Amino acid sequence: MNAPDDAVAIGAPSIRRRLLFLLLVPLTALLGIGIYIDYRAGAEAIRSAYDRALREDALAIAAHLRDEDGNGRIDADLPPQAVAVLRADSVDSIYYAVRGADGALISGDADLPTGAARAENPSFRDVDFRGHAARVARYATQVGATDVVIAIAETTRKRGAATTRILASVVLTDLVQLAATLLLIWFGVRYGLRPLRALGAQIRQRSPRDLAPLDTPVPDEVRPLVGALNNLLATVHASARSQQRFLADAAHQLRTPLTGMIAQLELLERDAAAAQVRERIVALHQSSRRLAHTANQLLALARAEPAANVPENFQEIELEALVGEAVAAHLDRALAARIDLGADTAPVRVSGSAWLLRELLANLVDNALNYTPAGGSVTVRCGRAAIEGAPFDGAFLEVEDDGPGIPEHERERVRERFYRMPGADGNGSGLGLAIVDEIARAHEADFSIRTGSGARGVCVRVEFTAATNVRNLSGS
Amino acid sequence: MRILVVEDDALVADAIRRGLDKAGYAVDHVDSAEHASSALAAESFDLAVVDIGLPGADGLTLLQRMRRNGSALPVLILTARDGLADRVSALDIGADDYLVKPFELPELIARCRALIRRSRSVSSAALALGSLRLDLAAHRAEVDGAPVNLTRREWAVLECLALNAGRVVAKERLMQAIANWDADIGANAIEVYVSRLRAKLGSALQILTVRGLGYRLDDAG
Repeated sequence: MNAPDDAVAIGAPSIRRRLLFLLLVPLTALLGIGIYIDYRAGAEAIRSAYDRALREDALAIAAHLRDEDGNGRIDADLPPQAVAVLRADSVDSIYYAVRGADGALISGDADLPTGAARAENPSFRDVDFRGHAARVARYATQVGATDVVIAIAETTRKRGAATTRILASVVLTDLVQLAATLLLIWFGVRYGLRPLRALGAQIRQRSPRDLAPLDTPVPDEVRPLVGALNNLLATVHASARSQQRFLADAAHQLRTPLTGMIAQLELLERDAAAAQVRERIVALHQSSRRLAHTANQLLALARAEPAANVPENFQEIELEALVGEAVAAHLDRALAARIDLGADTAPVRVSGSAWLLRELLANLVDNALNYTPAGGSVTVRCGRAAIEGAPFDGAFLEVEDDGPGIPEHERERVRERFYRMPGADGNGSGLGLAIVDEIARAHEADFSIRTGSGARGVCVRVEFTAATNVRNLSGS
Repeated sequence: MRILVVEDDALVADAIRRGLDKAGYAVDHVDSAEHASSALAAESFDLAVVDIGLPGADGLTLLQRMRRNGSALPVLILTARDGLADRVSALDIGADDYLVKPFELPELIARCRALIRRSRSVSSAALALGSLRLDLAAHRAEVDGAPVNLTRREWAVLECLALNAGRVVAKERLMQAIANWDADIGANAIEVYVSRLRAKLGSALQILTVRGLGYRLDDAG
């Protein structure tokens, strides 16, 4: 009876997926940009710190330059110890060159170029010196009246190492932050959507007959949806009620004139003196009875339909009592047909419509009496039935006869409306088992047709297995 | 014996009137609750057959009014509506029986007879079923005027069946009737008493065994 869960899922991506996509993608991009900016800022700080040290060195060299003679000849007054201190570095190599305005080397490494002058002084540039990446500081100054240019170069191993360290710590922190954010969003979205899932579960758990409005508290965003759903339920409810009322009215309108007709024909039948007239009245009487029977059955069929099933009409019903009523009601007919009609019952209760179940039993017993020859027997049973895998017992109703039976290949067809087995007599309407089928469906019960015990006759069994219909009812 | 029929459909009312008349009852017919009230106030009846679907005040309202006024008149309710609610409320309000249209005349007559018999058995402490006569006060039974010798338990079973003549009486109910006399009875005891009763009553009355349910004493009219 239940539609598959994913029946409406086509073309609608889940809200969770949308939220995760809309939050996670931009956040990841933002965090990526953050990592880049942090890295750039860290690298810049390191560069300016090292550049400052290099500038100090250039200024220190300048402090040692003298124009002692005042003739423009510059002495590089750099004692060997000072040079050693300058060059002392366990990681990087340091080079320097002091050149005059003409570019002539005054002191230092001859192959170190000073490079072109720039607006700022000292100025820095990255070069490739003796096969290594190096940073050069160029400092132009005057010694006495003479222009000199000082270049000092330092390979970039320490800078590289420091930048890597900073990169490692910044990126690691940012990555941890990113991971934490993603996790929080994922859990947050999951948690945030929990009311929706709870609502879904609540709707799924409802009985298909339950038309009461949904009343669990829901978040504001979902309220319009639940409101619409409740409106729909109310509409269905109202139309079910009006259909029910219509059927009751129709029944009333049909039955009263039929009662008058049948009763009058019955009286006429007794009064009629002439055999010819009598015969015709008997035929009329019988066919008006059949008309009443069929009208009743059509009403039963209409009432068993899901749309007409107003859920509040369902109540606890003791099946034993219904079986007793059905047998008692058909007893005279069975006696007249010389059929042994009996019951075999155990106390059991189901939730259902008494009227519909009474109609179900009446149709089954009626059918059985129709197809059982004189001297045969018909037994109506009810009791508890174990349901495979369920922690509670179900209930069953059963009508068995020892008539000619229904061949295997006809058993599906006889449930169809107006279908009558080949060779059936003229009395049936072909609606009996269709009604049983419909009423069983309305009660979420299984309806099966089998061969009777002793490989004879028919055993029709209706098994109530739906939890909503038997749980907590069949106890004690 | 006099029966008041309250039914607005002329064809149905006419058939009921003729049917009951043939069965030997005097019948008065009215077509509304108001007319029924005045008829009930003016005359005395043994039974009222009341249709629920009347114009104006309906049959249930009439029944309610009767019971409020203290009337114990047996009432058989007729209805074309077969909803459970109608049946329950009719019986709750104090209807003695309930018949859904379309019904067969013999069924209606049998129900009327059973209701009248029951109410008379209360007032006169006597009950007649065909050739069987029960003195409910003295616990004596007669067939064609000849006393039938019954034990107390046999009497209890017969009384219970006779008061419900025409209806299936569950075995459990018969056991309860006997339990008044003796607390310790086996389930098979009922079968024994019924077969003894059949032997003692002979062909005067038939006690039908309804397999798996109980017994029915045939309503001989």
